[in-house]
Amino acid sequence: MTEQFSYSADREPASAAQVRALEALLIEKGVITETTVDKVLGYFESEMTPLNGQKIVARAWVDPEFAQLLAKDTPAAIAQLDLPEGMAGAEGEHIAAVLNEPGVHNVVICTLCSCFPWPVLGLPPYWYKDPVFRSRAAREPRVVLSELGVPLADDTEIRVWDSSGHSRWFVVPERPAGTEGWTEEQLAGLVTTESMIGVALANQPSAA
Amino acid sequence: MKLQHNLGGLEGLDSAPLDFEKRVFVQDWEKRIFGIHAAMMALSESLRGALPGYDMDAVPTAFKTIWTWADLRKGAEAMNPFAYFQFRYYEKWLGGITAYFVEKGYLTQAELDAATERYRESPGTALPSSHNEAIDQQVIRYLREGDSPRRGPATPSFAIGDRVVVGNPPTGEHTRLPGYLRGHTGVVQRVFEGNYTYLCSTGTDGLGEPMPVYIVRFEPAEIWGDVAEPNAGPLYAELYQTYLSAHTPKDGDK
Repeated sequence: MTEQFSYSADREPASAAQVRALEALLIEKGVITETTVDKVLGYFESEMTPLNGQKIVARAWVDPEFAQLLAKDTPAAIAQLDLPEGMAGAEGEHIAAVLNEPGVHNVVICTLCSCFPWPVLGLPPYWYKDPVFRSRAAREPRVVLSELGVPLADDTEIRVWDSSGHSRWFVVPERPAGTEGWTEEQLAGLVTTESMIGVALANQPSAA
Repeated sequence: MKLQHNLGGLEGLDSAPLDFEKRVFVQDWEKRIFGIHAAMMALSESLRGALPGYDMDAVPTAFKTIWTWADLRKGAEAMNPFAYFQFRYYEKWLGGITAYFVEKGYLTQAELDAATERYRESPGTALPSSHNEAIDQQVIRYLREGDSPRRGPATPSFAIGDRVVVGNPPTGEHTRLPGYLRGHTGVVQRVFEGNYTYLCSTGTDGLGEPMPVYIVRFEPAEIWGDVAEPNAGPLYAELYQTYLSAHTPKDGDK
């Protein structure tokens, strides 16, 4: 999208200097401390990552009762797992899972901004925030998924969820065939961030 | 309503390639503005009314104003619609957050320009030294406990299965109503337990006071007409009650 606009070579160094200046001044003025930004980033690098979502999905694959509860009362289900403290924290206050099933595929979008279930998936990747994706996925999800290489049958119902309110949605993809007897840990390795937003399927065992 | 309120389903983008960039940050500097934004939300005066009961008086920060998602979104929604597409995601954050601190008087443009110049000349210069555990603790506590907008029991006017029509209120400076749904008819799929407030009053747009929220199911053919995808499945949006009214047959069955 941005390619059609002029892009000065100076753009990144200028922004880098500006954000550094802003952070330095905010520290000097006592708004934040020297360590505040690093602590925020550390929190998202070590605790609130897609690993949490992968574990939730893997449990849903091996435990039908858990999957049922996840669909009905997502926070209650998540609270049963041994995940980092804060799963109902910032941008996780009202997390809601939607489950794929044979013949039904869910896609989560945010046409107004970039709402994303931070504790489950971490921070949103760039494609999710791209205006072209946000625009196209709302009206032509089947074409978009096809362009992204998602093999869906023509009669699979695609359900689109636009995150305009308080809920932060994520998708539980279908369990791939050929994974019978796998441990939750092995299964979690097949679950990508993209599959938990609905623009991919879980990886096949051969690709793991 | 601005273009950025109405991105969903824009026509003419069919041939626009998707930029499937999977990284969260494409430049290191973007991480810093994200961290500043998260800290601002965690130190915001608006948290005085938050459900976790944050003791904001015990947090020795110089930040004494309100900063929420609504403020960040207002910045992006206030932009010239074409400029909105000219800037990358975190560039918009950097512009909006910087302008906020200048506008609120935390720093002057001259201070910022001088400091920016210093960091342009010597990018490796260390940040000023300052330690204050209480500030950082509040920031992490906010990330762990959040700021749920749920307030009081639900007082819904609509029930599951009701047909509802989406209104078309003036957007003012901020809205949570996707433009492409305005004027369209859907069916209530779910009524949330509890009422929900919003981060701020959106004025004539209608948000702010606790109110019911619904998941409304729309049929793409009703929204998009001839340019809907063949065999399209349902589209669900989560809508505040203020945006909805009861469907009456005279509105026309589509």
